[in-house]
Amino acid sequence: MVSQEVAIGVRGVSHQFGEMGEQRFVRALLDTSLAVSRGELLCLIGPSGCGKSTLLNVIGGLTQPSAGSVEVLGKPVRGPSPHDIAFVFQENALFPWNTVIENIELGMTFQGVPKSQRAGRAKEALAAVGLAEFAAHYPAQLSGGMRQRAALARALSLETPILLMDEPFGALDEQTRMILGEDLSVLLAKSGKTIVFVTHSLGEAVFLADRVAVFSARPGTIKEIIAVDEPHPRRPDFVTSEKFAVLRNRLYGLLHDEIRKAVLQAGAASAPVPSGPL
Amino acid sequence: MKHASPSLWTALVGSLARRPGLARLLVIVALFVVWEIAARWFVDPLFLSPPSKVIASLGALFTTRGIPAALGLTLYELAVAFVIAVAIGLALGLAIGLQPFVRASVFPIVLLLYGMPQVTILPLFILSFGIGAASKIAFGVTHGVFPVVMTVVAGVQNLKPILMTSARSMGASRWQMFRHVIFPHMVPSFFAGMRLGMSGVLLGVLLAELYVSIAGIGYFTTLFTQNFEPAKLLGLVGTLAAMAIFLNALVRRAETRFGRWRTG
Amino acid sequence: MAPRTRDAWLSRLVQVAFLAGVILLWYVATTRWGVNRLLLPNPVAVFGDLVEILRTGAYVDDLMTTLGELAAAFSIAVAGGLTTGYLISRSAYLTKVFEPLFAGIYAIPIILFLPLFVLFFGLGPASKIAIGATISFFPITLSTIAGFSGVDRLYVTAARSMGASDAHLFRFVLLPAALPVILTGLRMGFTVALLSIIGSETLASLGGLGHRIVTLAESMEMAPMFAYIVFVIAIASVLNAIVSTLEARGRWDR
Repeated sequence: MVSQEVAIGVRGVSHQFGEMGEQRFVRALLDTSLAVSRGELLCLIGPSGCGKSTLLNVIGGLTQPSAGSVEVLGKPVRGPSPHDIAFVFQENALFPWNTVIENIELGMTFQGVPKSQRAGRAKEALAAVGLAEFAAHYPAQLSGGMRQRAALARALSLETPILLMDEPFGALDEQTRMILGEDLSVLLAKSGKTIVFVTHSLGEAVFLADRVAVFSARPGTIKEIIAVDEPHPRRPDFVTSEKFAVLRNRLYGLLHDEIRKAVLQAGAASAPVPSGPL
Repeated sequence: MKHASPSLWTALVGSLARRPGLARLLVIVALFVVWEIAARWFVDPLFLSPPSKVIASLGALFTTRGIPAALGLTLYELAVAFVIAVAIGLALGLAIGLQPFVRASVFPIVLLLYGMPQVTILPLFILSFGIGAASKIAFGVTHGVFPVVMTVVAGVQNLKPILMTSARSMGASRWQMFRHVIFPHMVPSFFAGMRLGMSGVLLGVLLAELYVSIAGIGYFTTLFTQNFEPAKLLGLVGTLAAMAIFLNALVRRAETRFGRWRTG
Repeated sequence: MAPRTRDAWLSRLVQVAFLAGVILLWYVATTRWGVNRLLLPNPVAVFGDLVEILRTGAYVDDLMTTLGELAAAFSIAVAGGLTTGYLISRSAYLTKVFEPLFAGIYAIPIILFLPLFVLFFGLGPASKIAIGATISFFPITLSTIAGFSGVDRLYVTAARSMGASDAHLFRFVLLPAALPVILTGLRMGFTVALLSIIGSETLASLGGLGHRIVTLAESMEMAPMFAYIVFVIAIASVLNAIVSTLEARGRWDR
């Protein structure tokens, strides 16, 4: 259930990498503002390089923005807040030298969960994502989809009110994505967490989100926010409904030009930077 | 930098921060300074000489009878051993890499010998090949040939089958495939192998030279050690080290110029 | 049989056949073809001497000297190398300054400096330990730097996002991530320490296995010399095999 309370408040955030005149100078975000309500699933979608991952890192306290501020649960963000926010990254964030269950227990060790509680919570989290039989496996022994389930289990075991997911299904094939998306929707309907989810996929955004924030090409700013008025858990037949198609087409319309712009930017970026008087 | 007027100190630190190579040079200079100070005032001059004294006695060193000849001979042995090691290594490596039969029969033997501590048989080498240049060259070759073989084999094996397939689909003959696909593909590995081979040859030849103390540099290192002449000993060892660094740099240069097509 | 194990089996077979062939050739050469006994002793005599040496324990003093030097040299190199490598890896700048320096020094045969060590420390074990430790230091340091530098930044980011402290980070992320590369460096350091010590014993020493072989060579006692060569090769193989197994045990990435 989406409440009125604001869980995440982003005010006028801008971020750039490097200094003006340097080769690597890039304006990732420009004056972005956003309010995420408690219990809401908000998707960030946009062309490559538009700063959506940067915004996620700023919200999560992994990056200090060049300008602007972020408040999470009423507190200003100054660094990682492991008790409030858990991350799920695109891939390879599971430690390959530990088994799945060791990975999950280690996350809780970092957060500060007492030793006696770790094993129980880890097993619960694995059961929730359907990986109970794979607890003693190493990540290398699992498929990509299973690895991401394990990463999700690790985030869930931390029992944070907020989940930040950076293209978690980006490295997976479409069929796996579909299944995982459906499972995620069911899981999250039960937990009531606040989620910010970055994706490239139009269908995934419409299927999962309560609202979709569409980004422009670099320097990224929020072009428009579309609401998806459909209760959670989303049923698989939502995908074939007309409502879905209308929303998806709207997204396509908003994004298409921005994507073209981003491709041109990427081409220009690999050209040599003209040097100044120095 | 938009500061009004940077002090000398911040300017210095700034330029050092941007140039690790410069910092490295300073580290080396600092080491020499420490050596100078330690050798002059803290260590018995029988055991260590400061760099200033070493450089001063270089003249006396090079005019000592037999030294220039010994150095020249060593250089000659290094060159010959390197050429032979590379030639044998390349031929053997190609044979092993390209012919499955050779790979199955010869490669295990190569691996067996590669793992052997060759220094154990150094006295035997000298007894068998004599105290002349031949034994030094032979010992250098046995040290240098293995890295060349291993890298050439790896270079040939790393060839993606898709490249061979597409060449064959365009009608390439076996010779053409070798000359235009396999050989160029293997060249970077070959040059890397040559670099390692040079290190091996340096080790083998110098080990043999130091062992045989009848003539050659081994004689002089023993002489200077027994007579407690650290300045001359350091000078000789330093010259040999410089020779080694120079030869390594030479091969590395060749590798950069001719051996790289991958990074464009 | 799976292709890979069959290949390994075939490899071993070829190696054994090769050794057997060489020994056979050696036997025939000395008994039938009359190769000079002063150059190549009879393998039967060599075997006999080897058994005698093992039985009487004549090798013990030399073996203890060599192994003692090896243990000391390697311990020093490990302690110094791991520490130096870790400290340097913490700074990208220091890595850029020192890594090429160490790599460049390691590329030349450091055994060249043995006469300097002998001048300073004498002909006893101290000079062998010194040069063994010096040479062994480099592969250990270089691989420690590479190991820690090569840790995927994402692991660090993920750990920090979950609240990991610096101690947590080192113990649970950096160390296990870097371990495979470091173990390889330790193995290489061990091999190179062993070679350097035997080598320096061969060049300038009063004791140890390398020195023993030289003494026998100088007095042209071919059969015992060959016996000792076989002995040293065997010891070296066993030690290297042990170290390789230990390395393989610790590598989670294989």
